[in-house]
Amino acid sequence: MQREVGTLPLAPALRARLAAAGFQTAQELLDTGPCGLSKEIGISREEALEALQVVRQECLGDATRTAGGAGASRKCTALELLEEEQSQGFIITFCSALDSILGGGVQLTKITEICGAPGVGKTQLCMQLAVDVQIPESFGGVAGEAVFIDTEGSFMVDRVVEIAAACVQHCHLIAEAQQEEEHRKALETFSLENILSHIYYFRCRDYTELLAQVYLLPEFLSEHSKVRLVVIDGIAFPFRHDFEDLSLRTRLLNGLAQQLIIIANDHKSAVVLTNQMTTRIGQSQSTLVPALGESWGHAATVRLILHWDNSQRLATLYKSPSQKESTTAYQITSHGFRDVQPPAVTHSTGGTELNPRKRPRTEEEKQ
Amino acid sequence: MDWDQFDLNPKTIAALKKADIKSVKEILNLSGADLQRLMKLSSADIQCLLKTVSHTLRRNSMLTALQLYQDKDHFTSQHQKLSLGCSVLDNLLKGGIPLVGITELAGESSAGKTQIGLQLCLCVQYPYKYGGLESGAVYICTEDVFPSKRLQQLIDQQHKLRADVPAEVIQKIRFGNSIFVEQAADLDTFQQCITRRLALLLARGMVRLVVIDSMAALFRCEFGPAEAALKARYLQTFGAQLHSLSTRFRTPIVCINQVWVLGGRVTPALGITWSNQLLMRLMVSRVSHSPGAAPHCAGSTRTLSVVFAPHLPPSFCYYTVQLEGVKGMK
Repeated sequence: MQREVGTLPLAPALRARLAAAGFQTAQELLDTGPCGLSKEIGISREEALEALQVVRQECLGDATRTAGGAGASRKCTALELLEEEQSQGFIITFCSALDSILGGGVQLTKITEICGAPGVGKTQLCMQLAVDVQIPESFGGVAGEAVFIDTEGSFMVDRVVEIAAACVQHCHLIAEAQQEEEHRKALETFSLENILSHIYYFRCRDYTELLAQVYLLPEFLSEHSKVRLVVIDGIAFPFRHDFEDLSLRTRLLNGLAQQLIIIANDHKSAVVLTNQMTTRIGQSQSTLVPALGESWGHAATVRLILHWDNSQRLATLYKSPSQKESTTAYQITSHGFRDVQPPAVTHSTGGTELNPRKRPRTEEEKQ
Repeated sequence: MDWDQFDLNPKTIAALKKADIKSVKEILNLSGADLQRLMKLSSADIQCLLKTVSHTLRRNSMLTALQLYQDKDHFTSQHQKLSLGCSVLDNLLKGGIPLVGITELAGESSAGKTQIGLQLCLCVQYPYKYGGLESGAVYICTEDVFPSKRLQQLIDQQHKLRADVPAEVIQKIRFGNSIFVEQAADLDTFQQCITRRLALLLARGMVRLVVIDSMAALFRCEFGPAEAALKARYLQTFGAQLHSLSTRFRTPIVCINQVWVLGGRVTPALGITWSNQLLMRLMVSRVSHSPGAAPHCAGSTRTLSVVFAPHLPPSFCYYTVQLEGVKGMK
């Protein structure tokens, strides 16, 4: 009730008038009542009533928040944060080398940006993640759903079907090898049709549609609370033409980044963005750098750059708060994103894999 | 913009009119704080406004991947592709050219790019069940004269190329009537052609294929190294306009491109700025000798390879250019 008038969500002009009339706290407003208020600051009775309603709702909201609900003003210790972060899930990419340089996979609650030249595999990785996010918990996945926002029209469902079929096949092999009841149960609902029906696809044809879609995302995610991955493929395409005023573009991108950070946190989802590369002409040579400018570089928490070295595809972890910069090779087979060499085979019985979150290793059929 | 038809608070509608805001785009371009100041409304009202206009713009826009997969409608389905007129080539592309997006066909001169372009202009006119789109094509020439003699040859030989189609179906199609040839030798003419002529033909449903022969020719003489930024802007603008037309009318855009040698390797011209606009890149080249091909074919055998595509692995196949057209070799 002691909340200052300046912090209340009223129209700026109204706040200015209240300050000029000498009101300082919300309690003073509530004590004055609508008639007194309308006389003091010269607004109509209806407007005064409305304003007081807003104030009452705010104060009520404050009260419930401080009573220990989850909210912006909750205090917690660093230890609690650490525990929370360690229990945070990862979405695996099926390329174990890439997963390990990322620290386990694509992390929930963070924004990961994937940059690369055309054809290097950005969309492939996004499709792979949209399938992998759905892997059941008994196989070490996060059992979530995916939102796929496509700005370029490169989401080819036939390819997603190939990747999903390979993933289901992979889980079936694990289940057969390990013969555990929970695996069999999980596989009952982990089928191709199920996977496809939990990828929510949005096609945005220009940046206005993209902005509108992101405004609607929080509501969508509240209705579909199992979503654990939001992909925007690609973020650069709608923003790289049609902008006479680059400062408008920077402002819109910053706003977008802010909203995505909030979405990632509030809904415990991973946000994955793909970005194009552009040529930066330097003093003596030109280099390829991620598009959208320097300030955009701050938007993502984790930045991955995919590139070629002759005919070998490489992934470099360029920016991460917790992992060091490193590079690894990957390949794209008919099954999707994979390691270049198959991972070491461990003939494990059910007992050795104690941690259910760890993805069990099996020998993969190399394409 | 008629704000009254939106599901908004009368106070908000009045504020919109007073602030002279004319479109949804204007609203979304402003930040929350700017909107509050401009319209003199509280943040709750502004959030409500943003959600309402976003809903109106994005009504019914969600599909699940399953719905995309099961969609068999000729116009909207992703499974529908534009056939190349040869089953070997179609197999390489898993059906043919995708309907939405820019497909590039790059290669050295006389590798067969124009031949494939002409063949597509005929293929698009066939009925859906024979891999066509039952519509015409626009062929935009930027440097050479349109090869009308060769087109006539191809038309005369269609029955030989398309042995899979009954003769009476082929006879009914007036191939020449549905191919619109445009000349655009410089950037401004090209711009006009896309924004006016092309948009008109597409809106009238008269064409469902655009072939541009070639992109690189437009940029050859006019740009020195100092004008890289200007060239990039043109490429991005053209790419965006073509992409937008392709999406709106579900029409494939095939851009023929030349190649240059960069760092010892043969790469398509126009650099990464152009590559960023593409959905799919195909390359054609002449082969000096191909293993396993019959000896009399050596010298005229060409390779068609997929460099990148979201749904195809890097792969290639051989083909020859015959009197009746381009035919793949197994």
